[in-house]
Amino acid sequence: MRTLDQLFERSTRSLAQRTSRRSLLASLGQLLTGAALLPLLPVDRASRAHAAEGKPRPDSPDSCEYWKYCAIDGFLCSCCGGTSTSCPPGTAASPISWVGTCHNSSDGRDYIVSYNDCCGKSTCATCDCTRNEREKPVYRPSRNNDLNWCMANADVNYHCTVSVILAVAEK
Amino acid sequence: MRSAHLLCAALSWPLLAAHVLAAPAPLPAEHISIEPLPPRSPHWVYVYDEVFDYEIDCRVYLYDGDHYRRLGQISGGFYTSVNLSPDGTTTAVAATYFARGSHGTRTDVVEFTDNKTLAVTHEIILPSKRALTGPSIFNLAYSEDAHFLYAAYMTPAASFGVLDPAAGKVLGEIDTAGCVLVIPSGRYRVSSLCESGRLLTVTLDAQGRETARAMSEPFFDADKDPLFVQGIPTKNGYLFLTFLGEVRDIDFSAAQPVFAPAWSLVDPAEKGHWRPGAYQVGAIHKELGRLYVPMHEGGEGTHKDGGTEIWVYDLASHRRLARWPLKVQGLSRVVAVQVSQDPAPILFAATETGDLAMFDALNGRPRHIQKQAAASPWMLLNP
Repeated sequence: MRTLDQLFERSTRSLAQRTSRRSLLASLGQLLTGAALLPLLPVDRASRAHAAEGKPRPDSPDSCEYWKYCAIDGFLCSCCGGTSTSCPPGTAASPISWVGTCHNSSDGRDYIVSYNDCCGKSTCATCDCTRNEREKPVYRPSRNNDLNWCMANADVNYHCTVSVILAVAEK
Repeated sequence: MRSAHLLCAALSWPLLAAHVLAAPAPLPAEHISIEPLPPRSPHWVYVYDEVFDYEIDCRVYLYDGDHYRRLGQISGGFYTSVNLSPDGTTTAVAATYFARGSHGTRTDVVEFTDNKTLAVTHEIILPSKRALTGPSIFNLAYSEDAHFLYAAYMTPAASFGVLDPAAGKVLGEIDTAGCVLVIPSGRYRVSSLCESGRLLTVTLDAQGRETARAMSEPFFDADKDPLFVQGIPTKNGYLFLTFLGEVRDIDFSAAQPVFAPAWSLVDPAEKGHWRPGAYQVGAIHKELGRLYVPMHEGGEGTHKDGGTEIWVYDLASHRRLARWPLKVQGLSRVVAVQVSQDPAPILFAATETGDLAMFDALNGRPRHIQKQAAASPWMLLNP
């Protein structure tokens, strides 16, 4: 995951160094002019509806409806300075976690998702997201989202939760 | 002109003097004091507030269901567990504290509060392995004679601590082989729920040492229809509900638990559509034999969604007596319920938006809605 992050970061930095802000605006302007000539599709209306309500789109990691969050219970790290797979700066990821099985409608596959807590700062208190698909009570800890999974980190409490794809779920 | 002013002043002086004479006496000096608690009432309720957005500051509010006011507060720390002593005179609060608030040396502790004064009387420092999980009366529980207090541990390896609340010390730790929580019964048994759908029952001697353990037959299927861990006290034990609305009434009065035949909260047409859901999924009036359950329409994964209605059952006949819709009362989903045990009982219902509603538990008539009673009122306890 770290390699991917570094690769993405490098390409973004490189693009930023090669492109001035004005040229970016000019390109965007051309793109938008062209886009205005295209017929409006249902998906476009949907996105505007979400924008109008001030809510992130369901396919955004900032939305509680995002497919990977099907068994999460906590604050989305993507709203707290991290991403759906990275903990916010200055926190530490829990080495133990619970898992969910979530369906990704865009590729039709089910995935095993690990929900790791990020620990060491007080609760993020933004983007509270509770979904409980196939979630089980505490007697099955590996599927339970009530436990504080920072319990195995020495001397730190819960801040937010990330959702990391482990593998495609076998049928 | 001057003579006119003088005349005016002369005429108004008696009026001014009369006004001064008629003014009320100044307020007396005040003295700060500590408000005493009124005598204990069966209509008191202890409201556990998880304060989900700021979980290092969990607390318990004491609320008067007759006079509709908060009487005081018991403070907790991070992910607090709370329970009352069998005689209702003491509140035990197990909490975790970090030395720097969000980090720093972890201290797990049980604090005991005198319910006559709401003052902390003493504490027991625990090993740093307390189960940091959702609210349940089985996270921290007294033996029936209050001789022991049991504290559920999870690291995530499961065990429990045996505490002596009078002496203020930890007596020992019992491994529970993967089974979780502390369901107390008799002198001195502790049962735990296992992933296999069984109950592990450990028997202790008067010093808190294990003398026997036994595993029950499976009584639920964690894959097909999981059991809520929030058991409801009955006259002889505890009643548990499953996600689909099956009822498991367990008699804990003998050496080993005895399982009554299962019955269902829902008829075949309702099954899978209407289901129980909450953080505290039911309450029982023991003498009346009535069960109150927050129910909602929903599918798999909605077991914490909270009830849009309260359904009332007769425990002897298993018959549904009433359905009390909540939206018409201006209430959001109910996530915790409790009922007072007196002959004129109050049903307390806490909502996902933090309101605390009170109903006549005999007929469902609304008595009062305390708006914004708590941030995350996820469990209610009675004296």
